[in-house]
Amino acid sequence: MAVDVASTSAIPRRPLSYRARRLLVYVLLVLVSALFFVPFLWTISTALKSLPETTGFDLVPDNPSLRAFREVLTDFNFARFALNSFILAGAITVANLVLASLGGYAFARLRFPGREVLFMLVLATLMIPDQLRLVPVFQMLTNWGLVGSFFGFIAIHLVLPTELFLMRQYFLTIPKDFEEAAKLDNAGFLKTYWKVMLPLAAPALAAVTILTFQGMWNDFFWSLIILGFGDPDVYTIQLGLAQFRFQYQTLWPQLMAASALAILPIALIYVFFQRYFVAGVVASGVKG
Amino acid sequence: MATVENAPRHRSVGSAKLREALVAYAFILVPMGVFLLFFIWPLAYAVYISRYDWGVFGKIETLGFENYRELYRDEIFHKALKNTLLYTALVVPIQMALGLAMAVIVNAGIRGKTFFRSAFYFPSLASSAAITAIAIYILSADGLLNAIIGGNRPWFGDSDTALFSIVGLNAWTTSGTMMLFYLASLQAIPTDVYEAAAIDRAGAWRTFWKITFPLLKPGHFFVGVVSVVGALKVFDQAFIVSNGSGGPNSSTLTAVLYLYRTAIGDIRFGYAAAMGIVLFVLIFTVTLVQRLLFGRPDTA
Repeated sequence: MAVDVASTSAIPRRPLSYRARRLLVYVLLVLVSALFFVPFLWTISTALKSLPETTGFDLVPDNPSLRAFREVLTDFNFARFALNSFILAGAITVANLVLASLGGYAFARLRFPGREVLFMLVLATLMIPDQLRLVPVFQMLTNWGLVGSFFGFIAIHLVLPTELFLMRQYFLTIPKDFEEAAKLDNAGFLKTYWKVMLPLAAPALAAVTILTFQGMWNDFFWSLIILGFGDPDVYTIQLGLAQFRFQYQTLWPQLMAASALAILPIALIYVFFQRYFVAGVVASGVKG
Repeated sequence: MATVENAPRHRSVGSAKLREALVAYAFILVPMGVFLLFFIWPLAYAVYISRYDWGVFGKIETLGFENYRELYRDEIFHKALKNTLLYTALVVPIQMALGLAMAVIVNAGIRGKTFFRSAFYFPSLASSAAITAIAIYILSADGLLNAIIGGNRPWFGDSDTALFSIVGLNAWTTSGTMMLFYLASLQAIPTDVYEAAAIDRAGAWRTFWKITFPLLKPGHFFVGVVSVVGALKVFDQAFIVSNGSGGPNSSTLTAVLYLYRTAIGDIRFGYAAAMGIVLFVLIFTVTLVQRLLFGRPDTA
């Protein structure tokens, strides 16, 4: 008898039918996705409500209004903060596109004494955490009168080791044949870089653009340290958001409107250029 | 091929090499300058500063190793370190498990793979300040979470739950990044091992634990190290939920937050620099373990 039971259970049970299992996976996926969407939907919903209405928990506001958005942009100076963030993130992105690709090209393709040692130095910079740099960099910027100034913030991010590393890795994957052709044409290095290598490296440039812009737009640590004192006119949007939360604890619609604004540009870029985000993260993550 | 190409230029080989080197130096001049000035030099400068009592106007007094000795005795630093380690111990396994689960689901040949991947990754992209503000609202005493579970606890305002709430928040946001790393790692597994499993009629669950999970070993280590290093640096969320204080009752005071407060709040640069170096050694050790186990970073 016991043997019988054992032998029947040893026969593999008919697996759940393919479709039933699929269905289960999708139900699970939708539930998990809800966990990722609800907070953002709730943010937008709250931003469209009036303060008294936030005591209720309807996802759809009764009288949706853009008042909270208008207020944060004008009365609470977020138009200015957003502009500051755009200027900083934009300038740093452009600088990185130029400098990281030039440096990456040199390390990937040109031969020069000390190349290995200097590249080790680049790898070393990747391992120095921001937390260690806080005091010395702050002291240096103080000495140079660059605390509270955009120039200070831009200077320390002018070219980022991750971006240079990413460009160098990409240039290494491009077959040398293209440059050989340019060499036969007697093109100089600058011309080869500009006319041959850069167009071929378009995906890497796109990844650098997105990675840098997103990193700088979202930055909180260095914004706080370099721009977080005194004059609120130099605040970035993230800094303004933190400040707003301290000052107006429970103005929920306005706080959510400001949060939505702080996320919006990155969300838009993400929707249109998704694959570059993924490529950039994986590429930059590989370096550790 | 190479000899043919070099032949006509035979006489100018030396000067061509020189020119190539000069062009290269010109190309890397600014990047190397920035790296030396703002990354490498600060490392040395931090060590230097850490041996002094140092204020805004520079040196006040030579202390030698006194700052480090003080760190050893400083109970607030111990508390901050304890919070950070507790946070790390909790958030890392949760992030890894979530990241892996999401990667496996997304990778299971489902329809709409790109959509789900995008959705799961999105919180990782949104700014920490905005995400934290949203979490503060949802976890407030009269927020959405309490409305759903029927409580009235201010999650970030209660010293019993504040740190755990940050764990939950960051596990939620960062798991998307971990998913991407796991996806890359999953795609590196050759398909023939699965074909073998299919021939053996192994079920999905068994196949996962017996085949996929062990084969992901390099992925686990990589994700683990990225996750630990990130967790040890936790700052933004702790700063924003506590208004920079690390409260309530020091429950959200992380090591980096304490470093920030010591430097920018108390203007004790020497002491803060010493703290930075201790943290650096901690983080460096974790990274070094990874490098030793997995070789060069660009081949990981």
